[in-house]
Amino acid sequence: MVKKTFRVSDMSCSNCAMKLESLEDSLEGVKEINASYHKLTMVIEYDETKLSEEQIVEAVKRKGYTAVPA
Amino acid sequence: MSNSKNSSIDPVVLVTLGVVLVAVAFALIAFQPSGAQTIASASGTWGQIVVAFVTGITTGGLSCLAMQGGLLASSLAHQIEQEYQPAPGHLKRHGKKVEFVPPSRVNSALPIFLFLLAKLVVYTLFGALLGWLGSFLTFSPMTRAVLMIFIGIFMIGNALRMFNVHPIFRYFSVEPPKFITRYIRRTAKGTDTFTPLFLGALTVFIPCGVTQAMMATALGTGSVMLGAALMFAFTLGTSPVFFVLAWLTTELGAKLEKFFMRFVAAVVLIFGLVTVNSGLNLIGSPLSFNNMTSGLFASSSDSIPAVDSAQPVDADGSLTLNVQNEGYFPQTLRAAANTAFTLNLVTNETYSCARDFVIPDLNFYQLLPATGTAQVTIPAQAAGTKLFFTCSMGMYTGVIVFE
Repeated sequence: MVKKTFRVSDMSCSNCAMKLESLEDSLEGVKEINASYHKLTMVIEYDETKLSEEQIVEAVKRKGYTAVPA
Repeated sequence: MSNSKNSSIDPVVLVTLGVVLVAVAFALIAFQPSGAQTIASASGTWGQIVVAFVTGITTGGLSCLAMQGGLLASSLAHQIEQEYQPAPGHLKRHGKKVEFVPPSRVNSALPIFLFLLAKLVVYTLFGALLGWLGSFLTFSPMTRAVLMIFIGIFMIGNALRMFNVHPIFRYFSVEPPKFITRYIRRTAKGTDTFTPLFLGALTVFIPCGVTQAMMATALGTGSVMLGAALMFAFTLGTSPVFFVLAWLTTELGAKLEKFFMRFVAAVVLIFGLVTVNSGLNLIGSPLSFNNMTSGLFASSSDSIPAVDSAQPVDADGSLTLNVQNEGYFPQTLRAAANTAFTLNLVTNETYSCARDFVIPDLNFYQLLPATGTAQVTIPAQAAGTKLFFTCSMGMYTGVIVFE
């Protein structure tokens, strides 16, 4: 398991954080996601053998946001 | 391959537009200036309920949308996600011919309706609870003033956040605890009906500034029935604005959403400033807009009801203040310095908040009779002193100048 932080600058409200955290349910290999609108960050703990950084960025993009590794 | 758009008008939309028209008509009737008689003045209780409804339809909807829009968006997330994702559609065979049937457009009106329905029920119950609690508590004008200033600052902060003025204003947005969002997500997952109902009920935990003020009012009623009725009327009033803006936002796309959010931000900013100003009036601060400008506009303001413009001085040296539904007349009273006097507060079918008369510096508060005269003894004050008075909402103001 690794824990990585992404900067998501285009969050515009608390609901954006909730939407990003919902990736917990759909992305295989994710243990936990903590997104913060206050800090514009998303901290994700995941199994790197099942999921890559690129896949995370792509999944975030599908939610309508842009994630950049911090 | 584009999604086909359903050309028929959604019945839920029609019903809601009907409610909007009825609500607007209701508001217009309530405020029609047919003499001094309005629905609001027909009865004190009924008047409060009408004011709550009108507050909801005029300010509450926008303010609540700014605050609770996130939860509403969550309740729509399932529908919105279906639209974002490339929906597969399906193939339909007609003999040898195979036709692609695109996916039907998702209806966003129903979840908004369910969200607002749940909100209405829960807020009504909460109003009953507040009314019951209020029978044990009373808010002093000072407590109410502090609450109003706090709420106003919160609204201004949220407006500036929506305008993206500075990152610091992001902290005015309430982030629900992680365990709550996770619970909501997992409990409501995959159910288009339950999610909006559940999230609508949850809005009670994140009331907007105007709602909080209305909750304080419900608390102040000290009555289960009136507390419930006030919150029901207010939430019902917010619903049409909430519905129309949310529906337009989801239907008309991101560009208009930005426009609406800016519009909402501007309105919330104005109401935030008005709320802070009312709070300042209520503590008798000379820094409120009304009190700073009372000297400048005294002559023109006092001339509104011409018959009341002259300062009535009784034979015994007492002063008379007419307390009307539209405020206090005259707005500036002049009294002799270093002499105590009696202030006669005259009401005549007065049902607005002007009845709740407050002199902050004297720590004086009295709910005046709807019709009648109440007397207040004003202690001697030094020359140059200004005693500000206001209604309990900080809306109507005036001043006694000692000279």
